[in-house]
Amino acid sequence: MEEEDQRKVTDLVIELVRRLLSQQNPQNASPNSPNFSQSLRYALRILSSRLTPSVSPDADAVAESIKRRLATQGNSSDALTFADLYTKFASKNGPGSVNNKWAVLYLLKIISEDRKNAISGMDSSVFLPNLGINDDEMGNDLRVLNAKENRENAWKNGVLLVSKDPENLREISFREFGNLVEEENEVTEEVLVRDVLYACQGIDGKYVKFDSNLDGYALPDSIKVPRATRTIVRKLCELGWLFRKVKGYISESMDRFPAEDVGTVGQAFCAALQDELSEYYKLLAVLEAQSTNPIPLVSENASSGNYLSLRRLSVWFAEPMVKMRLMAVLVDKCKALRGGAMAGAIHLHAQHGDPLVHDFMRRLLRRVCSPLFEMVRSWVLEGELEDIFAEFFIVGQPVKAESLWREGYRLHAGMLPLFISQSIAQRILRTGKSINFLRVCCDDRGWADAATEAVAAAGVTTRRGGLGYGETDALESLVMEAAKRIDKHLLDVIYKRYKFKEHCLAIKRYLLLGQGDFVQYLMDIVGPELSEPANTISSFKLAGLLESAIRSSNAQYDDPDILDRLRVKMMPHGTGDRGWDVFSLEYDARVPLDTVFTESVMTRYLRIFNFLWKLRRVEHALIGAWKTMKPNCLTSHVYTKLQHAVKLQLLSTLRRCQVLWDEMNHFVTNLQYYIMFEVLEVSWSNFSNEMEVAKDLDDLLAAHEKYLYSIVEKSLLGERSQTLYKSLFVLFDLILQFRSHADRFYEGIHELQARTAESSLSSQDKNKSRQTKDKSSEPGSWIREGRKALTQRASEFLQNMGQELDALATEYKSLLEGFLTELPVQQHVDLKFLLFRLDFTEFYTRQHATM
Amino acid sequence: MPREIITLQVGQCGNQIGMEFWKQLCLEHGISKEGILEDFATQGGDRKDVFFYQADDQHYIPRALLIDLEPRVINGIQNSDYRNLYNHENIFVSDHGGGAGNNWASGYHQGKGVEEDIMDMIDREADGSDSLEGFVLCHSIAGGTGSGMGSYLLEALNDRYSKKLVQTYSVFPNQMETSDVVVQPYNSLLTLKRLTVNADCVVVLDNTALNRIAVERLHLSNPTFAQTNSLVSTVMSASTTTLRYPGYMNNDLVGLLASLIPTPRCHFLMTGYTPLTVERQANVIRKTTVLDVMRRLLQSKNIMVSSYARTKEASQAKYISILNIIQGEVDPTQVHESLQRIRERKLVNFIEWGPASIQVALSRKSPYVQTAHRVTTLILVFQDQIAYFAAIQNNSQRFGLIITTLSMFLYGSGEWSYASKPHQYPTSLQQMFEPDNDLSEFDESRDIIESLVDEYKACESPDYIKWGMEDPGHSLTAEGNASGTLDLKLEV
Repeated sequence: MEEEDQRKVTDLVIELVRRLLSQQNPQNASPNSPNFSQSLRYALRILSSRLTPSVSPDADAVAESIKRRLATQGNSSDALTFADLYTKFASKNGPGSVNNKWAVLYLLKIISEDRKNAISGMDSSVFLPNLGINDDEMGNDLRVLNAKENRENAWKNGVLLVSKDPENLREISFREFGNLVEEENEVTEEVLVRDVLYACQGIDGKYVKFDSNLDGYALPDSIKVPRATRTIVRKLCELGWLFRKVKGYISESMDRFPAEDVGTVGQAFCAALQDELSEYYKLLAVLEAQSTNPIPLVSENASSGNYLSLRRLSVWFAEPMVKMRLMAVLVDKCKALRGGAMAGAIHLHAQHGDPLVHDFMRRLLRRVCSPLFEMVRSWVLEGELEDIFAEFFIVGQPVKAESLWREGYRLHAGMLPLFISQSIAQRILRTGKSINFLRVCCDDRGWADAATEAVAAAGVTTRRGGLGYGETDALESLVMEAAKRIDKHLLDVIYKRYKFKEHCLAIKRYLLLGQGDFVQYLMDIVGPELSEPANTISSFKLAGLLESAIRSSNAQYDDPDILDRLRVKMMPHGTGDRGWDVFSLEYDARVPLDTVFTESVMTRYLRIFNFLWKLRRVEHALIGAWKTMKPNCLTSHVYTKLQHAVKLQLLSTLRRCQVLWDEMNHFVTNLQYYIMFEVLEVSWSNFSNEMEVAKDLDDLLAAHEKYLYSIVEKSLLGERSQTLYKSLFVLFDLILQFRSHADRFYEGIHELQARTAESSLSSQDKNKSRQTKDKSSEPGSWIREGRKALTQRASEFLQNMGQELDALATEYKSLLEGFLTELPVQQHVDLKFLLFRLDFTEFYTRQHATM
Repeated sequence: MPREIITLQVGQCGNQIGMEFWKQLCLEHGISKEGILEDFATQGGDRKDVFFYQADDQHYIPRALLIDLEPRVINGIQNSDYRNLYNHENIFVSDHGGGAGNNWASGYHQGKGVEEDIMDMIDREADGSDSLEGFVLCHSIAGGTGSGMGSYLLEALNDRYSKKLVQTYSVFPNQMETSDVVVQPYNSLLTLKRLTVNADCVVVLDNTALNRIAVERLHLSNPTFAQTNSLVSTVMSASTTTLRYPGYMNNDLVGLLASLIPTPRCHFLMTGYTPLTVERQANVIRKTTVLDVMRRLLQSKNIMVSSYARTKEASQAKYISILNIIQGEVDPTQVHESLQRIRERKLVNFIEWGPASIQVALSRKSPYVQTAHRVTTLILVFQDQIAYFAAIQNNSQRFGLIITTLSMFLYGSGEWSYASKPHQYPTSLQQMFEPDNDLSEFDESRDIIESLVDEYKACESPDYIKWGMEDPGHSLTAEGNASGTLDLKLEV
């Protein structure tokens, strides 16, 4: 039996030496190496020596000193664990237990201190300074030195070595002092300690009670204690006050939880606080256990160093106090906050120079932010807005599909924590929005692949909670990758599947009249219809006409899907409106393109259409006028037999009519050219360039917006060119008036011609059949009144027409003059091109100069 | 309703240039010689139905009437690769096949004789179109059939289709060569009257200038008819591109002509085209920016009307209107810059009595021509240049002078006086009028041309608006004297 024990001891020693050596140098650790045997021998020699450390064999004192050391190193939880373990160890009595407990503790302590010293670089190459291998003398010296140090340490650690005084004098005086103290105090310190411990758990103690006046725990004045005690109690009880606050918040939040919106971030915050509190509970539990030990008088032997005094408590409470204060501050700050805002508020406190605070906050934030980051993750990768409590910095609202992109989601600035920058937030918003847009509007599933790719590229795990606070880089890269891919995918879908460009082109061709032949036919066949009062026009019929215009123009070769979307729209009309005023074309963009072509966008297109359509109508009218006065119409027929004066009159009126026509036509044509080159084509080419480089839907929307805006502005439809626009329309109306004048004029001339021909015929026939002629001719007709009357009538007619034309011309001239002088004043729009075209030969400049 | 245009090719010259024109159109639209649409040409965005219609078997048939009094040229067409292109019902060759013998009167009278047949054909074509825009007549004004019969057709069309446009591509005779046809000047004179009175628009193709361009610009020492004709067809097809490739503007012939011709009587248009090439000719690659082509077009050497006909320098000439049709890929912003340059350098003078400007139309270029050439030969590199250019200019001064010079050249300065005397007319022509011995036709024609020349001159002055008003005695008494009665034949 003894032999066995002996062997066991030897084995243990061998094992110990091997371990220690292997830490120093693995080669030495092999049992055969000379180093090893040397060390072993040395160890055995030490063990068999009778040297004892000059420390009193008090296990409790050693344990206490270890605890202190751990606590001062900031590991209060380690200290607690140690205390816990030690109590267990100490309570083990009986067979099989370690007898020499203090020795074991002492050994452990020495070893750990050695290690620490070694690590802290005093002698880093030697792990076992006690085992001076090569130089025994040296080793001995060292050991002695160490022992000395240890003893000093022990002293420092507050283990008092009280030597027994045979005379007991001191003891007596101490006892007296104790009695004195007892007399002075109504309450013993033990009770106070216990009370403080209660108070620190938010429970009123026997004496220490919560005073709502003071808003804190305090000893009632009625209890007689020294001032110092009172102060220290109050100080210690601050922890209780703080605890109350934190605890109160937690329980309040937890109670409220399902019904009211504490939110997941709030929950996480509570949970984190709760965890911190349970650490705190542990501490309290240990302390409470210790508090049962009576506080020894100074005189008493420190056989049970494991007691608590108020002073000791204040040491114990130093760290929890800091944490608790932080928590209380956070609780205060976060009371009214939720979600991202809460995280942001906590984040503000995390910026702290104290590493303890910093670490603590980080730990807290990691917990608090995890729901938030999870939201970001699922939003960016799945487009899910898992946000029942409205904590996310992205807010969704139920909208129609067409406004999903613009209005469906927005950033909630209040919920955006500071550690996520605005640009990233925007990107996050857009990415999730893109996914939702793809899902809802585009009916597309391909984004999932893009998301997976993004995850792979970012190298972040997709599982929940994969991201945390402090990993902003990872978050950023995930968001970037996801955004890049999702945006690209979205644009792909918009371009390829939904043919965005084709539709833009279609709008340009139909609503902006780019498809000339189509517009012409439409004008031809719809024109007569539109001259009717607006309320008599059936839009059904117009739709039919539109259909036939499509079929007979090159539009028929267009994509049926595009043609399908083209519709006639009758705007609301008042009395007296003609069809011209209310007719317009409409393009049904449909989901998802209606995100770009929203109602307001379409209204603007409609305004442009109306303007262009009117311009076209005026041009059409002018060309119609030209057709009546076209070269071979008149000259071939007008072999009038008129007097010089009348003939001259005719000539001059005709000439004036033509010149006026020329001026008007010049104006309209050049306006058209301006619209085509400087407005439509240029804007379009800019737009297509921007479409090429657009990276996401927002870019695309912006590009389109710019395109539309430039057209609106340049076609004088903008807010600021209202007066110009109005005078333009007056000009247009004047031109339309001119057309009807010209028509009447030429009608008159043709009639005149016919009558003249007839009259000359009749004058030839006069002799032959005078009677029949007289009979046949109606009363009041030109012929009957004879040649002279005819001339008279003709001259009158021409004079009237001439005057009307002159009036028109004068009005037109002054209006145009006004328009032209207003043009250069419009600085906001690039209208110099228009002026340049209109006044290419400086005709108007000269005219202006002579006036 | 494609705004159809029916082409009438009259006489030898008319049929020749007409045929070149159709060749060019077929090439541009990707239509094979048989009239079948080529496989590559199904997605053009072009309008074929302006000039073609589709037969039951889907092959494209030109809306063209081939008319001649002698069978030679038309037989040639019928024996060529393109024989299946045309509708055979639309070919008219006089029964006797003797031609008009370079005699205007003969052509005119034969035209009168076969009016019914031809009008039937025209009616049939017109009925076959939804919204007929007008007619295009290709002819020469010097020969017999083109001038005589063409004149008659112009009158007939004007009578029956007075609402439709009538445009002519008229080839004016070469003045550098002494003509073997004695009556050529008289033919021209008589035709010019119809062109002035009965046509809406006359595109003047001056043989002199065409030859000059072929020699000077294309470096052909002895240009053949085929080569000059291909120049003509290039111009014809280029001037119709905006009709065939619809865009924002200029989609119909009326719109095109209306803004070119503000003064009804002055409707003679000049053309220019750059860069010019004929088939199988190695071309120098030239720089073709918008400004460059525009500028080049304003140079007289590129104008297809002879400088011979001008007394003043081109720089002093005044334009009533200019239309540039640019084909190919052009950056729209360049257009404005070019216009600005042109104005700054005062490269062009316009009339002073009204506003005017250079109109620019952008048109697509046929995608097929380019590919076809790239496949066949490497020489025609010009297709790679950005712009293909045609301009139609209505130049008051130039035109006035063309005609003046023409008349001067024909008759000498003093000859007008005795040209009006009946016995001075060539007997061959006289004979045709013999039945009623009415030679007033000559006088009338001369008066009309003179008054046209006057009007062109007047257009140059800023006082055009008042022209003919302040001195009524001058023009009117002259007419009055000429006819000797109050029956004024001439009217504006």
